[in-house]
Amino acid sequence: MMPRLLRLLLLPLALSGCNALPRDASGTTEQIERTGTMRVAVLPATPDAAPALALLRSYAARHKARLTRIAVHGEHALHWLEDGRIDAVVGHFAKASPWMADISLSKPVARAEPDDSRQPVLRIARRNGENALILATDRAVAGSAK
Amino acid sequence: MSLHGGIPDAIAADVKRGEQLEWWTLGWMASVVLVMWLVMGASQAMKAAVIEDLLSLVPAFVFLISVHWERRRPNKRFPFGYRRANSLAFLVAATALLSVGGFLAYESVSTLVKQEHPSVGGITLFGHTVWLGWLMIAALAYSIVPPIILGHMKQPVAERIKDKVLHTDALMQKADWQTGLAGIAGIVGIGLGWWWADATAALFISLSIIRDAIGALEQAVAELLDGTPRALDTNELSDDAQRLIATLKGRFGEVGVRLRETGRYIAAEVDCPPPAKIPTAVELMGDDRAWRLASLSFRPE
Repeated sequence: MMPRLLRLLLLPLALSGCNALPRDASGTTEQIERTGTMRVAVLPATPDAAPALALLRSYAARHKARLTRIAVHGEHALHWLEDGRIDAVVGHFAKASPWMADISLSKPVARAEPDDSRQPVLRIARRNGENALILATDRAVAGSAK
Repeated sequence: MSLHGGIPDAIAADVKRGEQLEWWTLGWMASVVLVMWLVMGASQAMKAAVIEDLLSLVPAFVFLISVHWERRRPNKRFPFGYRRANSLAFLVAATALLSVGGFLAYESVSTLVKQEHPSVGGITLFGHTVWLGWLMIAALAYSIVPPIILGHMKQPVAERIKDKVLHTDALMQKADWQTGLAGIAGIVGIGLGWWWADATAALFISLSIIRDAIGALEQAVAELLDGTPRALDTNELSDDAQRLIATLKGRFGEVGVRLRETGRYIAAEVDCPPPAKIPTAVELMGDDRAWRLASLSFRPE
């Protein structure tokens, strides 16, 4: 058991020497770089989406891509995000959102976390497992809060 | 020491040592649970690891409770004392080990079947946002150290006092550090974009835990059904029980000899009239294991 475990442990560590962790499970970042497009949907009733879109636009620019708004209706947007048909969704979500297990929600954009975990505020939703994108947008959101 | 209660002087110091090790276990593992809980974020794998660490405290608890009861004297309501508390504790500890293995296997299979892609994002500390995976790896690395050391220290004590609960707890510590290693491999795997790495590593570990737990459960059930005393680490008959059967048959001829185990103690029953001079425990078991023979009875037909 021990040698097998050690091999399992050391192989990723050896490989990780070449590339910074984390990477995306489904390669969203590479796809954005390859296509030069980052597909973003904004949920209806999100009048204050501008700061979140600015963060995503800046992220896309760093990867030599531009933001493309995808028109999709409400809940479909989140299903599309789960399926990888879009790269991010901007909208109002509560910290205790019923979607929280299915998508990765950022901290509130341009404001502090509300005391009430059921209060929806502006957040960026990312596809689960796309950890490079998630960390990069988490950093951008944290930077915007300073 | 009375026939049915108390801890023999020959093993009193080692039992005390076992208790000390279990108190250390509760303290260290509580600190591990706290550290893991602080960094678990939304990771299901880390949540499973925290639950597993909480369950792993069960054998240490039941060992301490059973030793406390073992020291109690027999009374009107329990004339045979409380020594079987150790057998009951063994069943509970083995069940806890099986629960840990089963829980880990369920979580792993469920993640693989549903193809859940774990998200591990950033955490902002002192103005810097770092990947939470690094903190998880640090917490998991910390979670590996106490069980390796404590498990290693418990094994020889469990062997000396013939305590299957302590032995099962050492197995639980093995499960703890193996799960910690699998967790590190899993988080690094997640970092590399291998969403299946965490669950696959945990599945391998869970199979090994389940195998150990089933072995322990077989022994626990055998003990509660008055089976012949088993070895600590297998379902085979223990060496000292086999030697005792041979010694009794050597003295009294080819008669029926039955042994059963109550906790760490052996009771022997020989199918022949009582001899004029009843052999002592030292004569039958030797100096170092004389404490194990708690009762010897003869059945003339």
